[in-house]
Amino acid sequence: MGKFLIVAAYAVYAAFWLRFLGHALVWRKASQRLEALGAPLARWSVKGCALAVLDVVLLGRVFIVNPALWIGEWVFHASFLLVVLRHLRFFLDPVPDWVWWMQTPGLIAGYVLPFALLYILVIRLLTKLEKYAAPANLFLLGLVLAISSIGVVMHGLFKPDLVDVKLFIFGIAHFAPAAAPGSVLFLLHFCLVLVLVLFLPTHIFIAPLVMLEARKREQALRLVIHEK
Amino acid sequence: MKNKRSFTIELSARQILELDACTRCGECLKHCPVQDVTGNPAVSPPEKIRMFREFIRATDGLKARLFGPAEVDQKLLQDFAKAVYECTTCGACGQNCPVGIFTQRLWPMLRKEMVKRGLGPIGAQAETPAAIKNSGNPYNKPAAERYKPWFPETVKVADRSDIAYYAGCTGAYEAQPMVRGDVLVLNAIGEPFTMLPPEEEVCCGFPLFITGQHDLLKDLVTRLVKGYKAKGVKKLICSCPCCVNIMTRDWPAIYGEDLPFKIRHITQHVSEAIKNGKLQLKNKLSEAVIYHDPCYLSRGVGVIEEPREVLRSIPGVTMLEFERHGLNSRCCGSGGAARKVFHENAIAMGRQTIDEAVAKKADRLILSCPACYAKVNEAMQGHKNQIRITDIMELVSGLI
Repeated sequence: MGKFLIVAAYAVYAAFWLRFLGHALVWRKASQRLEALGAPLARWSVKGCALAVLDVVLLGRVFIVNPALWIGEWVFHASFLLVVLRHLRFFLDPVPDWVWWMQTPGLIAGYVLPFALLYILVIRLLTKLEKYAAPANLFLLGLVLAISSIGVVMHGLFKPDLVDVKLFIFGIAHFAPAAAPGSVLFLLHFCLVLVLVLFLPTHIFIAPLVMLEARKREQALRLVIHEK
Repeated sequence: MKNKRSFTIELSARQILELDACTRCGECLKHCPVQDVTGNPAVSPPEKIRMFREFIRATDGLKARLFGPAEVDQKLLQDFAKAVYECTTCGACGQNCPVGIFTQRLWPMLRKEMVKRGLGPIGAQAETPAAIKNSGNPYNKPAAERYKPWFPETVKVADRSDIAYYAGCTGAYEAQPMVRGDVLVLNAIGEPFTMLPPEEEVCCGFPLFITGQHDLLKDLVTRLVKGYKAKGVKKLICSCPCCVNIMTRDWPAIYGEDLPFKIRHITQHVSEAIKNGKLQLKNKLSEAVIYHDPCYLSRGVGVIEEPREVLRSIPGVTMLEFERHGLNSRCCGSGGAARKVFHENAIAMGRQTIDEAVAKKADRLILSCPACYAKVNEAMQGHKNQIRITDIMELVSGLI
């Protein structure tokens, strides 16, 4: 089982980069072309950049269009980030101080995360506020909900041997594989994370750039036909 | 073999990133006028983006690079083409996109790709290039009839002037009270203005651009720009939002250099004339009016305040607003040339505009777009709710 998981982890790692490479090749090909017709006017400004930062950090655009969903989405994204940072202790040795500082916030976020996801699912599926829910998004939400719930159960009830976990994860990350821990819950948690990496949506890398472009475009709207 | 053509050819790098950035959250559906009347998520923005991503993956993805492009399912392509042409390209989806995708510009470029594949345009839209070639306008009406039926006899047009007026095809043939009002108001301002002869005032190119048929654009734009340049024009005034949009955003790129004149929407010119005292609205209008923001004027070029300034300057007028107005205005159904094919959708959207205006207890619905003017008037025929529809310059011309 351990060997299989190690091979699976490397396969998923390779698949992730291949997928990224596939997208990068399309972006590169397109970047070599000039915009056929007038590119939208765009203006760099402190205000535009500040708004773009707020869009990325606080999901400002989501707040404008759907405040009820925004709170769930923001809590989900923030707690997911904190949980990921907390998990860095399994990948690094020695563990930097700032990763240790993230342990308590990360732990709290780990408990908050499933509730944020449940809230989003309720808004998406059980209220009449939503007209559309992409199956791919529901799959990812369900997947992260399962991963985070198992994480909570492992922390609260069935703790795996953390030394074994660290040796296993650290070994994979540094290409020196070690035996997998015996905890079934951990193995399930790990497998689901591999599935998540496999289906990680590309918008998490691209959306910030598009948000910045949108703010630059909005800041320049007054220049399209008004006196410059 | 045709289906193996790359799907990225007509798109800029920015647009390809935008396609990848869509989270398919579905927020846009709440603002989509087509969704309002069809309730069909299959023609929604995130579904169109999902399908187009599949096409790109098939012809440009890593697997396609290694083993050659895959054949794209013809049925899926046809479904996509229908969805992208059913859209009114109003851009409300992009305005409310949590990522900020510029959809008002994305959809026309996806349509262009469909045209290159022989899947677009749809129905009557396909007749547009031939009509423009034949008569200079997309309605295939005689050029000699372009000004004659509506041009006021009392108004004199200068041979040369700093200021020129472009009537536009839809105004000249389909919304004549609107262009008549434009000319009367320009005349009342008192500054000489020129116009191209009717056979030289050809289509601005927007109906071709918006349906993805770009072949004639260069010729049309060059003819118009050279025509105005020869008349010494420094400021070109137009009342049609679609014309104004392509003139400001695309004419420089199509023409190949900066335009030798600036473009202004007529409400900008009139608002300025009212402010500096060149135009006075003497007559009172004791009515509640509601102004509909045309999508390509508000979201397109940011002209939002000037029409309101003009209306507020009318003595006695009470201004009302639609729930969705300004940058968030809801399409009246006339946009994107979809009205030529998906007639029932357009009528249903037009009636939503009428219904809201009536519900707000407006005495008059004020429009500022010839396509809106023609379609909303058509939508009111046989409808349970009735309201007086007036173009903004038609209104102003009656009050001076």
